[in-house]
Amino acid sequence: MKKLKKDPLNLIIIGVAGQGNVVISMLTCNALLREGYLVTFGQTYGANQRGGPVMNYVRVSQEIQCSPLLPDGTADVILALEPVEALRMLAKYGNPNVTTIVNPRPIISIDAARGDSPYPDLDTLTQAIKDLSAKTWLINATEEAQKLGNPIVANVILAGALIGSGILPLDKKAMETELRERFPRAIDLNMRAFNRGIELVSA
Amino acid sequence: MERRGAATAVEVKASKELFKEIINAGLCSLCGGCSGSCPYLVSYKGRVILMDNCNLADGQCHEYCWRTYSDLDALNQKVFGVPYGESEMGVFKEVFLARSKDPDIRRRSQDGGTVTTLLTVALAEKMIDAVVETKLDADKRPHGFLARSKKEILECAGASYEPSPVLETLNHLPKDSTDKLGFVGVPCQVSCLRKMQLNPPRNRVNVDNVKLVIGLFCGWTLAQGFHEFMKEHFDLSNAIKFDVPHSPFHTYDVYTESGKQSVELEDIRSYINTACSYCFDMTAEFADISVGSGRTAFKGWNTVVVRNKTGAKLVEKAKAKGALETQAIPEESITNLKRASLGKKKRTLENLIALSGSKKDLGYLDVSQDFITRFLS
Amino acid sequence: MPDIDVNAPGTTVLWMGNEGIARGALEAGVGFASAYPGTPSSEILPAIAEVAKRMGIYAEWAVNEMVAMESATAASLAGIRSIAIMKQNGVNVVSDFLANLVMRGIGKGLVLICADDPGPHNSSNEQDTRPVAKWLDIPLLEPGDFQEAKDMTKWLFDLAEEINTICMLRTVGKIAHTRGNIKLGELPVVEHKAHFAASYGFRGAGPHAELHKKLAKAQEKFESSPFNLYIGPDKAELLIIACGASWLYSQEAVRLMNLQDKVGLLKMGTIYPLPEKFMEKHLKKASKVLFVEEVHPFVEQGVMELVGTLPPSGPHPVFYGKRSGHIPAYGDLDPSVVIKAINSIMGLNYQTRDAEYDKKVKALAQSYVTARSGTLCPGCPHKASHWAIHRALQLTGHEGFGTSDIGCYGGGGVGSFGITKTHFCMGGGIGVANGFGKLGRFGFDQPVVAFCGDSTFYHAAIPGLIDAVYNGSNVLMVIFDNSATSMTGFQPHPGTGRNAMGEPAATVSIEAVCKAIGAQVVICDPFELKKTTDTLVDMIENKTGVRVVIMDRECELIRARREEPPYRVYVDPEKCLGEDCGCDMFCNRVFLCTGLTWNRQTGKAEIDDVICAGCGVCVDVCPHGAIIKEPYTAKGKEKVAVKGKEKLKEVAAR
Repeated sequence: MKKLKKDPLNLIIIGVAGQGNVVISMLTCNALLREGYLVTFGQTYGANQRGGPVMNYVRVSQEIQCSPLLPDGTADVILALEPVEALRMLAKYGNPNVTTIVNPRPIISIDAARGDSPYPDLDTLTQAIKDLSAKTWLINATEEAQKLGNPIVANVILAGALIGSGILPLDKKAMETELRERFPRAIDLNMRAFNRGIELVSA
Repeated sequence: MERRGAATAVEVKASKELFKEIINAGLCSLCGGCSGSCPYLVSYKGRVILMDNCNLADGQCHEYCWRTYSDLDALNQKVFGVPYGESEMGVFKEVFLARSKDPDIRRRSQDGGTVTTLLTVALAEKMIDAVVETKLDADKRPHGFLARSKKEILECAGASYEPSPVLETLNHLPKDSTDKLGFVGVPCQVSCLRKMQLNPPRNRVNVDNVKLVIGLFCGWTLAQGFHEFMKEHFDLSNAIKFDVPHSPFHTYDVYTESGKQSVELEDIRSYINTACSYCFDMTAEFADISVGSGRTAFKGWNTVVVRNKTGAKLVEKAKAKGALETQAIPEESITNLKRASLGKKKRTLENLIALSGSKKDLGYLDVSQDFITRFLS
Repeated sequence: MPDIDVNAPGTTVLWMGNEGIARGALEAGVGFASAYPGTPSSEILPAIAEVAKRMGIYAEWAVNEMVAMESATAASLAGIRSIAIMKQNGVNVVSDFLANLVMRGIGKGLVLICADDPGPHNSSNEQDTRPVAKWLDIPLLEPGDFQEAKDMTKWLFDLAEEINTICMLRTVGKIAHTRGNIKLGELPVVEHKAHFAASYGFRGAGPHAELHKKLAKAQEKFESSPFNLYIGPDKAELLIIACGASWLYSQEAVRLMNLQDKVGLLKMGTIYPLPEKFMEKHLKKASKVLFVEEVHPFVEQGVMELVGTLPPSGPHPVFYGKRSGHIPAYGDLDPSVVIKAINSIMGLNYQTRDAEYDKKVKALAQSYVTARSGTLCPGCPHKASHWAIHRALQLTGHEGFGTSDIGCYGGGGVGSFGITKTHFCMGGGIGVANGFGKLGRFGFDQPVVAFCGDSTFYHAAIPGLIDAVYNGSNVLMVIFDNSATSMTGFQPHPGTGRNAMGEPAATVSIEAVCKAIGAQVVICDPFELKKTTDTLVDMIENKTGVRVVIMDRECELIRARREEPPYRVYVDPEKCLGEDCGCDMFCNRVFLCTGLTWNRQTGKAEIDDVICAGCGVCVDVCPHGAIIKEPYTAKGKEKVAVKGKEKLKEVAAR
């Protein structure tokens, strides 16, 4: 078990219900548990209805069992499957040292669709995210996933990017073990997606 | 003749104003002109319903409503090639009496079956491919109907005294339809259709496809709960005809196979659509041809006002084919018709002035002050 | 869902609080588990049911919480350790039974699990069930982490048996649904044998005094319970008394503020009755006490009550908490709430982030963070049903409205066209509509549509329907039958033909029940929008008495697990009127399906192929035939992928 650079380490994985952020949070948490850390994986979400934001809080410590929610302004990494959601999380949990990994593919909310709350210009939005982060990776995960043949693996590409970024005390092999356990049948596609994610942050 | 003219026509308004200024203000004649062309407005059982909020600031529902400003000169130019004359009953070529030669049509019809006959002739002669007109449903409530055959035209014979949103049916037609259409409507419906033809609406069927417009004389319609009143007082499922006979009678009659049931007109006066008291047109002045009852003196006949070439040609064809017989109308009857039509205009002027509180403001109606003075004196 | 019967004592797993509770029951040798789905408690019973056959135990979804509690009680009386599981609303349903049960005593260990939903996040109300334990006179524990969720559940069976009364565990959503480290214990091998000892006899209204003795025994045990814990200096400037998730929040706040030497933390696990001697000892540690707990100031009031009885020499600290306004009395808490309270009480100004950054991020968020209201899923049959009901109510006029209850169909918020005007408990839709339906004699003429789900129908709607027939109410009930308890995670119910353990089960037909009660019943497929709307209009305008329309269409999420989408849906930009008169973005702005999006450049609607479920309902919503559906084929899928790429380019270019 590697010593954490910071204890606790706070990771937020945010997406819109249906995007699969819970799956990659689980993979990450299980890998961390296997390494021997105290892990807390909290969630907030609406009812089992798609379209609303789903926030996953992954908290790693070698000292205490962390609470399900992190204190405001204390995120170390924000991984967002949707760009507005990245900014939503920065607003509450961001700080000058935060790292953001963002899939810039918008999902238009019904509030934006009906004109109550306009969806921002994408360039302005990504610039704002960059301005608020110490480091930002924009990963076109949906597009990359479609290139691999199925938009559903966008989340696994982002999991790859997360591991590739080196922020977590986890190496590639630790996550591979989890992927094999989770996707025994679709392992090839998922491994390709995961490796693609690592490539994208290394580039 | 000085009128307000087009300056007023640039109003940019939509459904919100339509409800505020027209529908909720008691000016809507339920013609169906605003409904059916978008998902927001629906005519249903004698009401215009806003199903969901439309956000547009500039809507065709407001633009084509007959009760918003209309350029009467331009309309009259479009149909008859001359400006609006402010006459008693509009432009016409001739007036006569007519009836169908087909006893079956006469039996089904309100008076002489002239409209049904003219339509079947127009269809047979390929002048039109279909007719937008009014049909009663099983509940005897009138609604718009696209009749494509003689059989379907016959199903539409007979009168209803309730408003029919017949223009909604026109608005429902597919945008790309190329059918040549006939149209039958009461004066407000004819006027609204002509207003559309003057400046054809977007995203609807091409209104210039309407090649024949037959207008029906109309004094008022019965709305605002009248259908429920009828349901309560009559056996509607067996009703075959509704009639308000001309003086000296003062009744509303419902005919069934087994006979006639009547109510005193006085008892149903409260159901007269308030919007009708602001109507300026009894004889459908913008139709190609207008048809009314032969009144008591010529029971079983229709009074026919031929207004332009289209109308005249159709009557000629119908006579030539032996479908229609005609006879001259006494001068005295024409005088009476004009007097009745004038009387409606006068009452409407008074009502509009009472509504606005000013002789200078007649709301939707754009006639000259000269005319107002002349008529009210 | 993990297999909670993994026989590996000493192993650490990462499980939800709910899975910990389920494991705790297994480690206690539970033989009978009954529940009704209710978030945040919903995962407990499925975890047990999954392993039930292997473990030789029985797990079931009961038709409602009262039935669950009654069944579990019978098992307890017959000598089997039993558990009944529910959310806060379920405790309300079962309260009459419980109030009688406590007078009687139990057989083998009987435990009631209640998961509360501070917030609320998944509930129609926010409610603290801990006071229920007080008025029932039963022992109550609340876990402060995931390990305790397991350990407390296990121990409560022993306690219940020892003092012969039902015991209660209250947890909150943030513990129930959060995963954390849990170290597993031994799994006992139990052969369950049921027999009711006739010697019990009838003890209907048992002695209340005896119950108080049982409670005193529990209190005595709580004095030395390992579930209560003090961390901090012997003399502290501030003592924080916390329980549940609030304990974790408090611990973190103190660590982050680096106040471990000044602030003491008293973590309480035995909530009722409070161990008074233990409390008194720790209250002496500081002259200021802050209570941190979620929803009701239950421990706060309990301690105040206790301190009020202490002599002048005893500890009389100053109290901070909900009463003083330092901790909100509603909503769920988080570490920042505790930091704020500590700052205020101790005169500190600790900030978790740089003030300048704070200002900047808030301004940017204000400008660019668009609202994202939850709504029905793409392809949801309720959406189509709501649309039909909305159109029917608009057409029939007279200010018609819907009365609803709990379920995906219930909210009626954004995307449900504002048809729902009342939203109460399970069965509250038909119950309230039934009342409205009796007001015709006072001039009431508005159409009322009662909403009810399929699971809700079995749970609580039947008495309302019977009353409506019996008392001659004029009511239209719509049953949203999507063949699942969808809101809580697709649990089976008496209409689905299978039980909690995955076995085939008898089916109770909603239609047959309604007909037997004497209602007029019509079945609609809500995806046939026009037909459904016409049926509803006919029901409202032409029929009177008790009318039931069953909307028969499977939950989209269940369908999607099984097969490909039925259609590939796309927009013909030539036909789409966009913002022009005759449409005004009707599909996007009014129908509000998340699968529909707007291309700001072309001013036309588009389908988001990643989101769209391919139900094709919007095809019938478009007023101009611009939305087109084709049967979903592999080729169609390819087209979707290609189109998706093009769109991404477009999005990137925007």
